[in-house]
Amino acid sequence: MKTIELTIDDKQVIVDAGTSVFDAARMNGINIPVLCHAHNERPVGVCRVCTVDCGDKVLQASCVRPAENGMKVFTANEKVKKHRRMVLELLMSDHPSPCARQRASGDCELEVQAAAEGIVTPRFSKRVSPRGQDESSLVISVDHEACILCDRCIRGCDEIRQNHVLGRRGKGYNAGISFDLNRPMGNSSCVSCGECMVSCPTGALTNKSVIRTVLPGGDPVDVEELKTLPFFQKVSGTFLELNKNAVIKRRFKPGEVICREGDYGSTAFYILEGKVEIFLASVSSKKAEAESAPSLIQMFSSVFSPKKKPAGTRGASGNIPIDAVIDLTLDNPVAELGTGDIFGEMTCMSLYPRSATVRAKTECVTLEMLRNVLDVIQRNKTLRAEIEKNYRKRALEDHLRTVPLFSSLSPEFVEQLAQKVELIRYSRGEVLFRQGEANTNFFLVRIGFVKLVEEHAGGELVLAYQGKGGYFGEIGLILGNSYRLTATALDNVEVVRIGAEAFHDMLQRFPEIAANLRGVAEMREQSNKRHTAAVSAISLENFLNQGLMEANSLLVIDLDKCTRCDQCVKACADAHDGVTRLVREGLRFDKYLVPTSCRHCRDPLCMIGCPVGSIRRRNSLETVIEDWCVGCGLCARNCPFGNITMHDVPGTGSQKAVVTKKKATACDLCADLPEPSCVYACPHDAAKRVDPNQFFKNVIGAGIAESVWLGSGDHGSAHGLDTHGSPR
Amino acid sequence: MRIDESHRPWAIASITILAIAVIGFVPYAVFHPAGARGNTLPGLVYGISGYGMMLYAALMGARKKRPVWRLGRAQTWMRGHIWMGALSLPMILLHSAFTARGPLTIVLMTLLVITVLSGITGALLQHFLPKRLTASVPMETIYEQIPEVRGQLCQEADEIVEKMCLAPDSEAAGLHTASGLQAGAVVHAAAAHHGAGSAHAVAEAEHAPDLTDDQRANMRHVYNSSILPYLKNPDSPRSPLASAVKAKSFFEALRRQLPLSVQEPVNDLESICEEERQLTVQRRRYLLLHSWLLVHVPLSITLLVLGGIHAFVAMNY
Repeated sequence: MKTIELTIDDKQVIVDAGTSVFDAARMNGINIPVLCHAHNERPVGVCRVCTVDCGDKVLQASCVRPAENGMKVFTANEKVKKHRRMVLELLMSDHPSPCARQRASGDCELEVQAAAEGIVTPRFSKRVSPRGQDESSLVISVDHEACILCDRCIRGCDEIRQNHVLGRRGKGYNAGISFDLNRPMGNSSCVSCGECMVSCPTGALTNKSVIRTVLPGGDPVDVEELKTLPFFQKVSGTFLELNKNAVIKRRFKPGEVICREGDYGSTAFYILEGKVEIFLASVSSKKAEAESAPSLIQMFSSVFSPKKKPAGTRGASGNIPIDAVIDLTLDNPVAELGTGDIFGEMTCMSLYPRSATVRAKTECVTLEMLRNVLDVIQRNKTLRAEIEKNYRKRALEDHLRTVPLFSSLSPEFVEQLAQKVELIRYSRGEVLFRQGEANTNFFLVRIGFVKLVEEHAGGELVLAYQGKGGYFGEIGLILGNSYRLTATALDNVEVVRIGAEAFHDMLQRFPEIAANLRGVAEMREQSNKRHTAAVSAISLENFLNQGLMEANSLLVIDLDKCTRCDQCVKACADAHDGVTRLVREGLRFDKYLVPTSCRHCRDPLCMIGCPVGSIRRRNSLETVIEDWCVGCGLCARNCPFGNITMHDVPGTGSQKAVVTKKKATACDLCADLPEPSCVYACPHDAAKRVDPNQFFKNVIGAGIAESVWLGSGDHGSAHGLDTHGSPR
Repeated sequence: MRIDESHRPWAIASITILAIAVIGFVPYAVFHPAGARGNTLPGLVYGISGYGMMLYAALMGARKKRPVWRLGRAQTWMRGHIWMGALSLPMILLHSAFTARGPLTIVLMTLLVITVLSGITGALLQHFLPKRLTASVPMETIYEQIPEVRGQLCQEADEIVEKMCLAPDSEAAGLHTASGLQAGAVVHAAAAHHGAGSAHAVAEAEHAPDLTDDQRANMRHVYNSSILPYLKNPDSPRSPLASAVKAKSFFEALRRQLPLSVQEPVNDLESICEEERQLTVQRRRYLLLHSWLLVHVPLSITLLVLGGIHAFVAMNY
């Protein structure tokens, strides 16, 4: 991309062409005050607080002024300061100081900036026509008097959440924000997602403290305390007030495991004090364990005590027991983190299980936060870039260290290789490469699924799909020059891309891997030829089109056995206060009905963007919707299979954790019971919860499903399931 | 419910119990001084066992009312219901020594035989019918939703024909376009539900097809005299559309009378009729699959009540 060079406050800076002056300053550590511009929203330049002197005839709003080559910008000269002070003074003249937000969390952006400028009493008189308050919403309090018409709430509602409820009303002194066609907020189509409140820089939109997030196992943290930490300084105090207990303080003793590889989680950790060590499952120990047959005593004892070891207990042999086939050795931590570092964020960002085990090295104090808090922190572009950089580095290293294919690579080589490879993301439907193109890369799938098809004149034939841990691209690199198949992302995919040069270097230095890959390449080449003629390719295409490969736990009903008695639906309703989470209708695959019921996807799109972090996985497979759901419906809209439903909450009694009109519901696999009620109550052995990649392997082709690696980070997918319909 | 290899343990247990009961009956019938009768000790053992099995089988109904209670998997209950229920008949026969003395016992014996036979019929129906239902009704819906889906199909067909017979003059076209938008939304919603090629109907709604006045009148006539009556009353066997073979010829003939530009809407009408036929099949098979319960359940309850009375009377008088 073309870059430009400009001077900001006498500092030479180089930025990409098209960058705004505001962003150019921000990226170079120069702070420009602003009210109407949030990093995650489109700049509109209405508050004029961020005006800077660019040498033009008039001062310019830096958030909308593109930087130009050779431009000289002054962000705080006398002219600018005078102007900014005047704007703030005018805004303060209409502002009910201290406003509700200033009183609650002390971070009303207008009042903080006015105080910094020394504005105590504005010289200008207050407006004479009051704009009033709106207390009709059960969740949000609206004080039109405190509104500065920055439109951040409107953009939040329209652009971020796409609810399109908020707009403008009136003109001049009567101008204000409005809900729908100027209806009271409580009677409007507002879904109470809280985005407007989080976006608002003042106390115009504040929460009524009705969301009672319950994150167990820690002490609550005051908003004031959080606001002293650099990591939380850019987070709206209203948001933190709204999500009280979404950040908790947890203490760990030396040696205590904080989070475990393979666990499903929805929280990230910020280290306040102490040090932690990171462990990754060693591939060699995994192989050794997998190869050793169980002893007679083990087999005998497993008959009488089939239950798993409770999570969190320490093994006697110096191992950390994890929810997998092997234990981690305690001897080889791969990294150490200290005060101010974060970990666990990868699970929040990728929605995949935790990729490492973290253990306290010293006495440790951490802040544990829900995904929605991390989302809001990432709205600050600077922090986002930092987190993203960390994510990429960790993802690459973790994956190269844990993928079984590279078990014989030396740690030094893995480190070298990590410098040469790329972590690339593809969205659903994007093509990684096309059949016939020059084969220049080898791909390792880190997240998501990739479909591999052979293109013919009459269409395409799906030959395989690859999930986490799978790899492809080796055939062309080893046996020929071009890609033999076309690879397309089936969902949000993350791959590690290894260039031809690094790939061949690896093969040269590690003959074992070379021999292994050559064998795989030849076997796949033959298998593809065989599969081209097989009928199962059609089933495989249906399987992929229905998104079945995504499911961790798929409810299937054997239609040859099902008498349509609806006991499964009745049981579901009985188990969930009369609201069923299962509708016995859906698409068919083979002789099975895939009814409308949560699939507990490997890539749970439903969790993306939940404003209060209520849809999440605790430490296990089940996707649960916690009691503090505000009923915004975003998860239901995001679910590609329509498996989340919104249902009315009768009454607004005080027992309800949140007072809302609607709540989202989805199958939680009857998490409190030993087996999902639908399966337990089926008298005909027709309803089963299965891992579709294993269960349908005979239908879609036995060899294909095996390519879906249920590796260390994904073993939870098989938790509680078997292919014979006897979960747990 | 398929009676497959998973029933083997229950079958073996039931046959073993039956064998023991029969083997025990022979010396009892031959050597007991009073002969084999229900009021002897062995006779009472057979009677209590048989009645106990009936009670266990009947508890299945109660178990179904509380599907979430962890009282054992429903499949286990169902297998027990089938095998214990079936076993209760020979046990009671052994209890009565294959005779019925008095009107109450005759009634009881008759009720038991009919109940067990209805149960066996139900088990056979539930063994064979689901597979046939699955194969013959790919567009299956929830049984209770059938009237709703039929209403939608009818509405969809109305809209398709309305669009096909749209007058080409501008005023009429304008009027129809306004209603067509609404109709399009309805059709679109239906298409989202059933995916029966209805998207074509939405596309067609935007253009008036090239039909002559005669063809339009004929189309309306065919729709009102044959298709609509069938859609309104799909259970009527007299309609040619009730048979897949006759429906195929019917639509072939209709297609021959119309220009190529309206073949797609005719295909949509054909698939709507096909879905109606499938819903009819589904409804019939569903009723067959469950209607035997109308005999089995009341008879079972009566049998248990009368059986209880029989036991009380026999023990006390």
